Amino acid sequence: MSVLSIGLLYGAATLLVMFAGMPIAFALGFVATLFMMLFMPEASVDTITQNVYEEMASITLLSIPLFILKGAAIGRSRAGQDLYGALHAWLHRIPGGLGIANVFACGLFAAMAGSSPATCSAIGSAGIPEMRKHGYSGGFASGLIASGGTLGILLPPSITMILYAVAAEQSLGRLFLAAIGPALFLVLLFAGYSMWRFRHEFNIAKERLKTTGATSPILQVDELSARDKFALLPRVLPFVLLLTGVMVALYGGYATPSETAGLGAVLALGLIATIYGVWKPIELSPILISTLRESTMLMLIIGMSLLYSYVMSYLHISQSAAEWIVSLQLSRWILLTMILVMVVVLGFFLPPVSIILMTAPIILPPLRAANFDLIWFGVIMTIVMEMGLIHPPVGLNLFVIKNIAPDIPLRDVVWGVLPFVALMIMAVIIMCFVPEIATWFPDHVMS
Amino acid sequence: MVHGLEEAAEQDPAVPKFEAAGPFARVMGGLNRLVEISSSVALVGASFVLTYAVVTRYFLHLSTDWQDEVSVFLIVGAVFMSSAAVQARRGHVGIEAIVGLLPTRVNYVRQMLVDIATFAFCAYFAWKSLLLLQEAVVEGYRTSSTWQPPLWVPYSLMTVGMLLLSLQVLLQVITALRHSSEVR
Repeated sequence: MSVLSIGLLYGAATLLVMFAGMPIAFALGFVATLFMMLFMPEASVDTITQNVYEEMASITLLSIPLFILKGAAIGRSRAGQDLYGALHAWLHRIPGGLGIANVFACGLFAAMAGSSPATCSAIGSAGIPEMRKHGYSGGFASGLIASGGTLGILLPPSITMILYAVAAEQSLGRLFLAAIGPALFLVLLFAGYSMWRFRHEFNIAKERLKTTGATSPILQVDELSARDKFALLPRVLPFVLLLTGVMVALYGGYATPSETAGLGAVLALGLIATIYGVWKPIELSPILISTLRESTMLMLIIGMSLLYSYVMSYLHISQSAAEWIVSLQLSRWILLTMILVMVVVLGFFLPPVSIILMTAPIILPPLRAANFDLIWFGVIMTIVMEMGLIHPPVGLNLFVIKNIAPDIPLRDVVWGVLPFVALMIMAVIIMCFVPEIATWFPDHVMS
Repeated sequence: MVHGLEEAAEQDPAVPKFEAAGPFARVMGGLNRLVEISSSVALVGASFVLTYAVVTRYFLHLSTDWQDEVSVFLIVGAVFMSSAAVQARRGHVGIEAIVGLLPTRVNYVRQMLVDIATFAFCAYFAWKSLLLLQEAVVEGYRTSSTWQPPLWVPYSLMTVGMLLLSLQVLLQVITALRHSSEVR
């Protein structure tokens, strides 16, 4: 049987079992094992468990559960609400300051917790009601939080980035640094849009007041004292110090990424124990159990995705597909566009972890041949996958918003996120023209 | 995360979850609870081991060679051992795009076929893990690091974990079969 036929069969079998609803981890393992039995030497089937173990036993990959633990410890405490409250107190005088406070809080929290849904949930549970109380429309408030939450998979310690570093054999430290510039750029774009949108909604409310006399809370200005500004700082600053400390440990050469993850988890548990008094087993149990469940699910997907890629490579499917793409001799920008469109389509159905591990062997060689910087591409691909978290039909963050603000109709949420999707597309296009947004910082720090 | 998939996995299932009952279900439930607690402790333990590595290296200037591997064993062990507990709540995320469009009866059959295929894969993987474990014990396999811990430790955790997972899926198949008459 030709490689093309085997490749098509492999793809069709994967689609069939996945769309039948088989859990992704088992679907990938099932198809890989089946094809090993059918098309590979018998001895290779005997090594499946060893393969999976050896791929999973990478200390870099195993930092993932520990980063999840750090995120869960911070995410399940009141740190998110306090962070948001503190930023609100400092930014409330700026027009649209409440929205901007939410964007900044999402960015900071995402960097501390490293999780997109956790950021949405932690900042949104306080931020959405507050914005609506101040007259912001439900769609705008929810769109802002859903989009701000996506920064969780871009800012370090992003799990998506860890996997990309492993799959593309790129430096994780460099990749983490490369994400900071684009994340700040997105924060600025989101904040700028928030200001504009606030003015727009403010003007509508003012017009309505003139014509009908109906007042809106958006027209009122909050009066917060200096005391309000400083009240939450003692609770928030230690977490910001934790964020800084972890970065210093990583980039100062004191700790490897996995040690940073362990250290971050221990410090986060220590902080929630001292600041919020969360230390009893009964209080820690939900944090630990949720970490374990999420880690187990993700690590099994990762292990089986790696087995799946191994089989794809052994049967020359990935190499042939990559060679075919190269032979098309597409212009580099058309190649990039096609790959990104494919990532968007895959994002409708698959989580970023699977997208990266399943597609990396096929898409990276043509990108390398087209002289793309793979660190830069990792950031671009992550931003595109961020969009998958907020655009229909799946949009994980949309479900999180539905849970924390069930009275906002899904239609409003979807309309609310669309401008942010447009901003992300704009950011990707700008970064194609100005790649230094991503590459300058790592080049500067790591020479 | 990327992560946060747990939230997605907690969406309402397309097929009703049947309550497992009987001694098999009770034993599995108890085991899963025990494994979840010990695996959680293992994760925290791995964090402390890695923190200890940083502290000893930079403050006490001691070189260490065992921390990475202990952490790997603890985390890989926790992941495999708790996979059954995650399966018990159908927490291993899958694509549910088409599932929601199917009638209940068709969905029941689909779920049954998926569970049987999952069981076949997990049982096969558990069996292969057992063979690997046996080989590691007999041949005295060790890791290639300077510390060289025996590989039967993580292999045994992988074997037991996959065995528990297979039993959990089997329990779900049996439970669904028992409730087949309730599905219209």
